[in-house]
Amino acid sequence: MARVAREMVEKAGINVNQLVELLVKNAAAELTTYYYYTILRCNLIGLEGEGVKEIAEAARIEDRNHFEALVPRIYELGGKLPEDMKIFHDISACPPAKLPKDPTDIKAMLIVLVEAERCAVRGYTHICNMTAGKDHRTYDLSQAILNEEIEHESWFSEFLGEGPSGHFMRRGETSPFVSKFLR
Amino acid sequence: MKEFTEEELAQYDGKNGNLAYVSYKGKVYNVTGSFLWKEGTHQVFHRAGVDLTDALEQAPHGGEVLDKFPVVGILQDIHMPDMPSKP
Ligand code: HEM
Ligand SMILES: [Fe+2]
Ligand SMILES: [Fe+2]
Repeated sequence: MARVAREMVEKAGINVNQLVELLVKNAAAELTTYYYYTILRCNLIGLEGEGVKEIAEAARIEDRNHFEALVPRIYELGGKLPEDMKIFHDISACPPAKLPKDPTDIKAMLIVLVEAERCAVRGYTHICNMTAGKDHRTYDLSQAILNEEIEHESWFSEFLGEGPSGHFMRRGETSPFVSKFLR
Repeated sequence: MKEFTEEELAQYDGKNGNLAYVSYKGKVYNVTGSFLWKEGTHQVFHRAGVDLTDALEQAPHGGEVLDKFPVVGILQDIHMPDMPSKP
């Protein structure tokens, strides 16, 4: 734990225990999404599925990176991960991104994917709002994650044809925004 | 349709096997089955069994997230949809 770092956040008027609880829930969302996306990726086959596979994989790896990046902040602030992984799963800030009934229905797959990303965009926007100007490090981290979640949302939304695209798939390394927290 | 007083609504706090009800703009919704309302708690800050009309203003989503949950009644007096909300 980083005692003074925690004190500074408290002094800024943030309830640190509640913030930590929220960070743990979002870490759970990241790790469980990483897991559920593994299953989705395995099922993204055929002419349509293979086209989506690459971005689903980038989103999956980046969500794992988000988990990795959140954990140190949780411990710095005096929090910890639950001992029991079943509990960790169930406290996730987002619902499980489960394989649709018909996994060959690629549109249904994309809807699961885009909804998971939208949940994340909402969650990190809220953490940014809460910490802005008060907890600089958590803000910096959640803003970096938010940048990537918005790109994930756009990728899947664009595959669904919801509107014209301003994006292309990741080129180069994954996690262009969060990588500074992983080094 | 059942009319809930605030005291009655408070019993549906989702704790210890209780059902989880929340009210929003005069309607009472049953959110018991939701993954995100386990034990009547939502995203650390919100509890079932109370009127959340004002709280939802600060949420990163609108009231449409409630659409898929059954309406089980209305809340007495406050926040009727056809009444102007607090200034
Ligand atoms: C701090 C404030 C809040 C935060 C950070 C928050 C966050 C979230 C998030 C991230 C989701 C998932 C949305 C998605 O899948 O895209 C959600 C869903 C939901 N929220 Fe909130 N929320 C807040 C306040 C509220 C309030 C005040 C209510 C009052 C009724 C509410 C009711 C719901 C409902 C009913 C759902 C849908 C649950 C489901 O689909 O099972 N939220 N919220
Ligand atoms: Fe993520
Ligand atoms: Fe994501």
